[in-house]
Amino acid sequence: MNVPDEARLMLVESATRLFTDHVDQKMLDAAKHDGWSQKLWQVLEQAELPRVSIPEELGGAGGTLSDAAAVLRVAGRYCAPVPLAETGMLAGWMLACSGLAVPRGPLAVGPVHDETLTARKDGGRWIISGKLARVPWARMAGRLVLLARDGDRDLVASVDPAQCKITPGRNLDDEPRDEVVLEDVVLPDADAAPAGAGVTREMLCYRGALARSIAMAGALERALELSVAYAQQRVQFGRKIGQFQAIQQELARFAGEVAAAVAAALSTAGVLERHAVGKAGHEDVMLAVATAKIRVAQAAHEGALIAHQVHGAIGVTDEYALHHSTLRLWAWREEFGNEAKWAMALGRAIHARGAGELWATLTKN
Amino acid sequence: MFFENVDFSGLELPPAALRLREEVRAFLKAEVAAGTFIPHLGHTEFDADFTRRVAERGWIGMTWPRAYGGQERSYLERFVVTEEMLAAAAPCAAHWFGDRQTGPSLLRYGSEHLKNKYLPVIARGECYFALGMSEPNSGSDLASVRTRAERVPGGWRVTGQKVWTSWAHKAHAFFVLCRTVPDIGKRHDGLSQLIVELDAPGVTVRPIRFMNGHHHFNEVFLDNVFIPDDMVVGEAGQGWKQITSELAFERSGPERYMTTFALLVELTRRLGQAPDERAQEMVGRLTARLWTLRRMSLAIALTLEPASADGGAIDLATEAALVKDMGTFYEREITDAARLLTVVEPTPDATDSFERYLAETIVFAPISTIRGGTTQVLRTLIARRLLGSLK
Ligand SMILES: Cc1cc2nc3c(=O)[nH]c(=O)nc-3n(C[C@H](O)[C@H](O)[C@H](O)COP(=O)(O)OP(=O)(O)OC[C@H]3O[C@@H](n4cnc5c(N)ncnc54)[C@H](O)[C@@H]3O)c2cc1C
Repeated sequence: MNVPDEARLMLVESATRLFTDHVDQKMLDAAKHDGWSQKLWQVLEQAELPRVSIPEELGGAGGTLSDAAAVLRVAGRYCAPVPLAETGMLAGWMLACSGLAVPRGPLAVGPVHDETLTARKDGGRWIISGKLARVPWARMAGRLVLLARDGDRDLVASVDPAQCKITPGRNLDDEPRDEVVLEDVVLPDADAAPAGAGVTREMLCYRGALARSIAMAGALERALELSVAYAQQRVQFGRKIGQFQAIQQELARFAGEVAAAVAAALSTAGVLERHAVGKAGHEDVMLAVATAKIRVAQAAHEGALIAHQVHGAIGVTDEYALHHSTLRLWAWREEFGNEAKWAMALGRAIHARGAGELWATLTKN
Repeated sequence: MFFENVDFSGLELPPAALRLREEVRAFLKAEVAAGTFIPHLGHTEFDADFTRRVAERGWIGMTWPRAYGGQERSYLERFVVTEEMLAAAAPCAAHWFGDRQTGPSLLRYGSEHLKNKYLPVIARGECYFALGMSEPNSGSDLASVRTRAERVPGGWRVTGQKVWTSWAHKAHAFFVLCRTVPDIGKRHDGLSQLIVELDAPGVTVRPIRFMNGHHHFNEVFLDNVFIPDDMVVGEAGQGWKQITSELAFERSGPERYMTTFALLVELTRRLGQAPDERAQEMVGRLTARLWTLRRMSLAIALTLEPASADGGAIDLATEAALVKDMGTFYEREITDAARLLTVVEPTPDATDSFERYLAETIVFAPISTIRGGTTQVLRTLIARRLLGSLK
């Protein structure tokens, strides 16, 4: 039997209850103005959900990466306007792996694009400089957890946002994506550490792409749920539109895309987990992450447009909930590399290995 | 919504399955090296000698009880054998139906007599089965079959016509879905499955040529064919339940997304180690889709695994339909990418594998979305599960 363990099922159940109780459309609409929901964040933090997969001794809630993925999928389903993935799977992971405690409060992470921050030692402190584009949730974060370059090694730095110049930016559904400028920011030694094992720019990008893939799988599930509910209730020509075979066929196709997205994203979390215990290689991680981001982005492309088609005009209004899911899908598919970028990387790797290795690569666990 | 309570984070094959994979690869490598078969894509080829060599390894009916010639191995091991055969485009048609359909049906519903009579010979690769469901007026709407069996002392007299019967001209027997009780409104009642030996008096097999001239399927005429009582599978009148109960395994297997895989390998080879970005991107996309389909198929196999003995605790039939629907479309994407990334005019008798596969997959492109449940029928089924019954 291949079913999730009790603990994960309970985690998902309690996360679902929590989001059901605290996320509704009014709150999502309000979050568009503030860029996030402080109240929801507090509830999540009380329940320790942002810290799943971070070891308890470093301020985390314990659990596996797949546990964190399960929570993130639910958060994606509810369009939760909080930096859940950033705090745990990205910033929390960087800190914990580098032996730094994970502070409470929302965390932001960078760089998420190609920029490089520079770090230099000055006595007992660090000086950090650089400019980062579109950092998710920077202006809300308690700390910015940044990967900076010190000569030929990486440094993980936990920076107070007040020391940086932050210019607000936003994505399609008004989630914060801010510009962050660090001009010789001074950091006490205790707030920085050499990047721990496995903490690299590349791995940050892998985990970011995975996090977005998982959240997108959840957002797709919601878009499908809304579409099904609408098809069950909207009447035209004297019939529920779900009785029309044309609508049924589109919904069935949509369901396939959603199932593929969930399968690709959650399987990939499993591969990263096996990588952490030495059961999967570095390139396996790249192949799995590329697969997840490609497949989920394709599903987002197909799914979001089917959802809107099934809804007719009501779906494109700001008063109906669907746009919170679809705008996020269209925003997230570009973050940490879109499907074209990952497809090229994956194709390159497959070709470099050669045709004779393709099947062995696909069947490697 | 779908795949509820299926865990995608594990999906690791047990060590026995991994060891078996190496054995199957070594076997196929030796077969290819010895040139025992020429790989073809489309419908898998019929090669009785190959089937016997596979049987010698114990890879036909491998999940069945030893008492009936099986090996009592897991469904996951069978999954591995199936995907390796497909990856090598090996000719498995002779044992295909017996292994996938006949065996499981007999184990589940067949009498002791039928199990003893057929399972060991199928497992030895000596007896081949075909499937007689479709009729000229009954395709997707299978419950409308008109072939009928009439009660006579000691058995039944069967009359009717079956079509599209794959490999009936080479098989020994076939399962026939027919009506044993007249249709009086409750159309799913009164259907039965019988085994008809193809050399029985009153059976006529005529070829129907595929568009490229291949003789793959047939029409089979049944004219008052006598079927003794002990050739009825399960209970007379329960045929519908029987044929619908095995769909989860049937529709979610690797054969639903891998029949053009060998073309992808040859395409990759032809493009070389450092192709242009367009080719990289296309191959990347195809790889991602295949990886995902395989994860879904594997998830179904792993989830059904221990339940398979007691009759399936989790119902994944709709998930299987999803895999089949997406898998069969995926197969065509490989064909299209191969066309668009190379300059080749498809030639059926090409000696180059890539060119031959390309020609074959173009010609056979329509079939996988038709057989085993058409796209439209599958999607209707999926939508019903999504929407419930709307009034
Ligand atoms: C290569 C090949 C091998 C085969 N081998 C076998 C075999 O060995 N044994 C056997 O019994 N059969 C076999 N078949 C037959 C196969 O099972 C049927 O082709 C299939 O069930 C579809 O039936 P049909 O061809 O009569 O099409 P139809 O059912 O007539 O369908 C024609 C079109 O109408 C659509 N349609 C039908 N009903 C609906 C509906 N309710 N809603 C929307 N659209 C609908 C279909 O999707 C399709 O597009 C084989 C077929 C092929 C192509």
